[in-house]
Amino acid sequence: MRFLRYIAALSIPALAAVLVASAAAPAPASATTGTGWIRLAHLSPNTPAVDVYLYSFGDPSAQLVLHHVGYGVVSPYEQVAAGDYSVSMRLAGAAATTAPVLSASVAVAAGNAYTVAGLGPESALRLQVLHDQLSTPPGQVLVRLIQASLREHVVSVSLGGQVLASSLTFGSVSGYRTVSPGTASVRIADDGADASASVTLAAGTVHTLVVLDGSNGVTVDNLLDAAGSAVAPAGGAGTGLGGTAPRGPSSPLPWALVIMAGMVIAITGGLRLRHLPHPSVPRHQPHHRAPRHHRPSRTSATLPRTSHALASHAPTSHRLVGPKR
Amino acid sequence: MSVLAGRSAAVIVTVAGLAAVAAGAVGLTLTRAPDRPVWPAAAILPAPTGPIAAAPRPSAPQVALPVALTIPAIGVQTQLIRLGLTAAGALQVPPTPSIAGWYTGSPRPGAVGSAVIAGHIDSYAGPGVFFELSRLRPGDRVYVRRADGTLAVFRVTSVRTYPKDRFPTRTVYGPAPDAELRLITCGGTFDPAVRSYLSNVVVYTTEIT
Repeated sequence: MRFLRYIAALSIPALAAVLVASAAAPAPASATTGTGWIRLAHLSPNTPAVDVYLYSFGDPSAQLVLHHVGYGVVSPYEQVAAGDYSVSMRLAGAAATTAPVLSASVAVAAGNAYTVAGLGPESALRLQVLHDQLSTPPGQVLVRLIQASLREHVVSVSLGGQVLASSLTFGSVSGYRTVSPGTASVRIADDGADASASVTLAAGTVHTLVVLDGSNGVTVDNLLDAAGSAVAPAGGAGTGLGGTAPRGPSSPLPWALVIMAGMVIAITGGLRLRHLPHPSVPRHQPHHRAPRHHRPSRTSATLPRTSHALASHAPTSHRLVGPKR
Repeated sequence: MSVLAGRSAAVIVTVAGLAAVAAGAVGLTLTRAPDRPVWPAAAILPAPTGPIAAAPRPSAPQVALPVALTIPAIGVQTQLIRLGLTAAGALQVPPTPSIAGWYTGSPRPGAVGSAVIAGHIDSYAGPGVFFELSRLRPGDRVYVRRADGTLAVFRVTSVRTYPKDRFPTRTVYGPAPDAELRLITCGGTFDPAVRSYLSNVVVYTTEIT
């Protein structure tokens, strides 16, 4: 028993920590709608143009077809329902019924983005599924590299003074690096002549830099994968002044004061009634005067005490001249 | 003063007191229910016309600045002003409740990323430009006119309400890989003590091309 208690004592805080961690994890907006994103890329320099097909798992008709996709082309992201998909490449113009040159499967999770890229030389072409990052450290930029240049097999890439990747081989993809926002020179160093290009990286964005074979040496394609606010405003937005808000119940205090004042007045009146003499003389004896020893006084205890007595006597006495006091 | 005059006065005083008690009780009962102001529903507007913007390209992401917003389903038609941040780092809001604004720190509507437009649900006196924002439903269209005359067209994907003290900053302002637009206004309970709504309504939209 003691051991079980010990286990429970250990596991409850651990469970709580897991719950807190899962609640704190940022959820991309699309997680609320159950969708993710796929984009398709042709990054094999000596492979001819292809047609790229996207199939939802179990559905033989393609959900998306990109025709005549040539080297260096990266499609925009396609928003798709979360689930399993397969991507097939056929030579450009080949019938959809022919066997694909290459296929790959990709499991799309809600709120996540993927790049399915044809990489490597034609002789060893492969479809690689890249899981794309969709969040940045506040005010920073995420950058990764795809080395798709056959002309220069191994490159080192630096941004400003920061090395992004060293000795990146053809067909490989680097991890993400966090860099500061701004415009900087990206420099590609290889065995031959170095190449450089100017890239602008805004805060709160994710980029993929693709090293490509150009007509004359290597080039860099700066892809904007995802963009958010450069600075996320703190908290919510103060976008209402309340003019149309349902009014809550107003304070009960004024009404309570009215009730209390009414009670005080009623009690005052009641006490005064109680202490006044009771006119018991009937109307047909106008000259009757109560015997002196019966004359009620303020301190008399002989007055009728009930309101019933007041009600039955008061109306008959309104013409009488009561005893002078 | 006669006893009878005194009695009459006392009766009147007593009855007046009891009447006051009754009036107070009735008043107290009647004012317990919340008072819901009713405003006429906005007219449905025709969709704006003009050249539809092309989809943003990943390698050439810049698009023209936004100048106007139309949401036919809830009768919204407004110019767009520019919004920055307050000294405290919160989102600036339009100085006029009848106009919406684009947050300049966010991507431009129709470019890759999560653009943000904010507007008031109401003023002190009545409805604001985004009074009926929470009535939008998935599939409704949102149009942003840009400085070059093109229209970026968005489709509502979801409508969410968040407590302001648990506002999902990274979800709303974080990066998106396609052209999205988030519309923000206030909602939920109004707290008269701090003159502020306790929640924000966020409408998520994605560009259609």
